[in-house]
Amino acid sequence: MRNWEAVVERHLNGLALEPAESAEVIAELAAHLAETCEVLCKQGMTEEEAERRTILQVEDWQKLCRLIQAAKTKENNMTNRVKQFWLPSLLTLFLSMGLLMLVQLFGPNPWIITRKSAWSLIAPVAVIYLPWLFSLPLVGAMGAYLSNRAGGSRRAMLSAIVFPVLPYSAFFLVALPVTAIFNDRLGHSIMFLALFVGLLAWVVAPAAALLTGGALVQLFLSRRLDARRIVGG
Amino acid sequence: MIGPGIKRGTAELAVLSVLEDGPLHGYELARRIEQQTKGALRFTLAALYPMLYRMEQRGWIRGSWETSQQGRRRRCYRLTAAGKTKLSPLRKEWSELFSALRRLTKVSHA
Repeated sequence: MRNWEAVVERHLNGLALEPAESAEVIAELAAHLAETCEVLCKQGMTEEEAERRTILQVEDWQKLCRLIQAAKTKENNMTNRVKQFWLPSLLTLFLSMGLLMLVQLFGPNPWIITRKSAWSLIAPVAVIYLPWLFSLPLVGAMGAYLSNRAGGSRRAMLSAIVFPVLPYSAFFLVALPVTAIFNDRLGHSIMFLALFVGLLAWVVAPAAALLTGGALVQLFLSRRLDARRIVGG
Repeated sequence: MIGPGIKRGTAELAVLSVLEDGPLHGYELARRIEQQTKGALRFTLAALYPMLYRMEQRGWIRGSWETSQQGRRRRCYRLTAAGKTKLSPLRKEWSELFSALRRLTKVSHA
């Protein structure tokens, strides 16, 4: 007979509850699956077929994991969405904005990328604050940690990490193109170059920095979970 | 066949009603509901346990580990005082809804 506890434990590896509580959930679900399988065998099914039918009871283990997590989390004033997405997102946003202000006020001069031509005097197309960029992995890591601790899904965590680049994305992808279209005084060649370099400097590079920190936290947390599982046998 | 939306709404009432007769573990609870509703309400593991945990968090039911005569450990759920208090208005609400629907369908068929 299959070891149902091992099956459930493997599938619910993302369950972020207290170890004792996780163990209870795993034992309970395993007992349910074992009983289902036994009943199917008694009805005349082969063991193999019964096990296959039993495992089909759960179509999406990740979804089940999230539902259990949400159900087990004590209901209070803050909903899970607030804890898993909005709180980490707003924290990363304010932290990244605050750090940018500090770097602008007290940090070294920014790195200014200009077009190497006659336009260079009138069109600096990107201003990059390197100390700010280097501080963003920490912000991303914090967002990932908070979202993960609240039991957020991978999507919620990813959204919380890259949330600070949202205002810049809106500016470069909406405001700047709209300005370029309706303001006939601006040279389109400058605008499109500014759009491209600005997008790289203020959206792609910060997002990559934030994601680096977030990915490191994710890696650390998953290794810690694996280690806990090995210790727990 | 009853649709998934109605099923979701009636699921809590079904669990509370069945537990009113006595404590049951998850598998047996799902089996009883399926039997008593002649298969109209059927819970898979994925649907049942998140709901049971949610109801437990709300204090309507309480789960505790018990060992059966065969030596198998299972978590049994029983109705709490809060669950009993919740059950009667829930029954009333659903009863009113079904009466209203019955009257409506009679009118529309007349």
